[in-house]
Amino acid sequence: MDRLRGLGSFVLIAAGVLVALRLTHYALPVVFPETRQGPIAVADLEEARRLVGFDPLVPAYRPEQLGVRPSEMTVTLSPYPAFAIAWRNAGHFLSVTQQRGGPRPLQPPLARPLDNLPDSAWWMEDTHAHLALSRDGFWIHIVTNLPSRELRRFADTLSS
Amino acid sequence: MNPAAWSPSVWSYFWQVALHASVMGVILYIWVHRLGLPSGCTRRRLLAALLVVPLVTAAVPGRSGVEFAERLAWLNSARLLAVPLGAGFRVYHVVLLIGGVTTLLTIWQELVAFRHRPQAMRRDAPASLEQMARSRAGWERCVVGVSDDPALMVATSGRPGRPRLIVSLGALESLSADELEVVIAHEHAHWRGGRWLQAHALFVLRLLQCYHPVALWAFREYCVELEMECDAAATAGGDRRLLGRVLLRIYQATDRRDIAARAVLRKRIDALVGAALPAPPLPGATVVVATAIMLLVLPWIV
Repeated sequence: MDRLRGLGSFVLIAAGVLVALRLTHYALPVVFPETRQGPIAVADLEEARRLVGFDPLVPAYRPEQLGVRPSEMTVTLSPYPAFAIAWRNAGHFLSVTQQRGGPRPLQPPLARPLDNLPDSAWWMEDTHAHLALSRDGFWIHIVTNLPSRELRRFADTLSS
Repeated sequence: MNPAAWSPSVWSYFWQVALHASVMGVILYIWVHRLGLPSGCTRRRLLAALLVVPLVTAAVPGRSGVEFAERLAWLNSARLLAVPLGAGFRVYHVVLLIGGVTTLLTIWQELVAFRHRPQAMRRDAPASLEQMARSRAGWERCVVGVSDDPALMVATSGRPGRPRLIVSLGALESLSADELEVVIAHEHAHWRGGRWLQAHALFVLRLLQCYHPVALWAFREYCVELEMECDAAATAGGDRRLLGRVLLRIYQATDRRDIAARAVLRKRIDALVGAALPAPPLPGATVVVATAIMLLVLPWIV
């Protein structure tokens, strides 16, 4: 052991410093909620891709009444990286949220699978239709006030 | 703007280097003070590791994604950097300020050193001085010059195989032959045992890290340790107080406002004239294992 003299105290000190860093890692978002990483507004899909580290999925099919350009694009970095995009135009609304990993998002008891769409659940909440589905490690949540039949077309045309 | 979000880019790498150096610096500083580790090879090795290891650990790939930072990393520094300080300022603004100031300090420090580098006059050096220098191993081709500086100054420049010794007129006039001999022995020690190469390699690494104060401090401490090692090599088997007396005269001639230079001289004099024998260094294996632990742990801090 004499060949490693002094190593024990090094390990103890390193462990102490690392524990302090870990506590800082956990405590900061509690004490300063704004240090949570997100939501952050992004200008385009490329910026979103750079921040969250995956290719955002966007429905290729979008009815004209939603408008051409999205009204909002945000990324959330913590606790799980997520991308949200929304279109709002003349009272019409569509939002798609894509989250990488994490637990399955909560769904109401009346949610039921969409026909011929595996790992999906859809439900109505007031005038909004919701569709939650799982794809390749991502949780995707689509919300719209357009007719609920549009949910399938949105889901079928999701692409990066 | 948050440096931790500048990934993947060279800026993110620079931030990681500073972060890893800070964490490793804190751990080593506490460790060395807890052990009461004296000056010596262990300190030099640790300081060298502090300048090298962060450059390696910050380059470990696969850590730039948010998922790694949030789910796998031990510490996500983006959280720390995002802490609000008021008036719209956050911790990362302070970090950027420190980086900018440290870079300016480095540029100023190196420019001052360049402007005040010793210049030899064209006049020939005394034959005895040339003999004194060229009789030393590896210095057979040493170019010896004399500067008109009235201060007590002896310095070297050049490169291995073609070293250059510059002695001031002040040193020639005020030092006895024995004192000049031991001072030249000190300068010669800088060129032996790979010290010249190691110091210059670390200087390059320190310039690469010109923006963070840990590297500034580590390299400065390394240089002090190197001076003390060369003092010990120059006085090995001889009278240590001889060199101590020369350093004391330089100390007395140094401007009182130059606290840093005087502190270094004081430390060197204390080491030379101190009665206490230096404590044994830590085993090399301890330093190697401690460095290996840092190499394994630091990549988990992003």
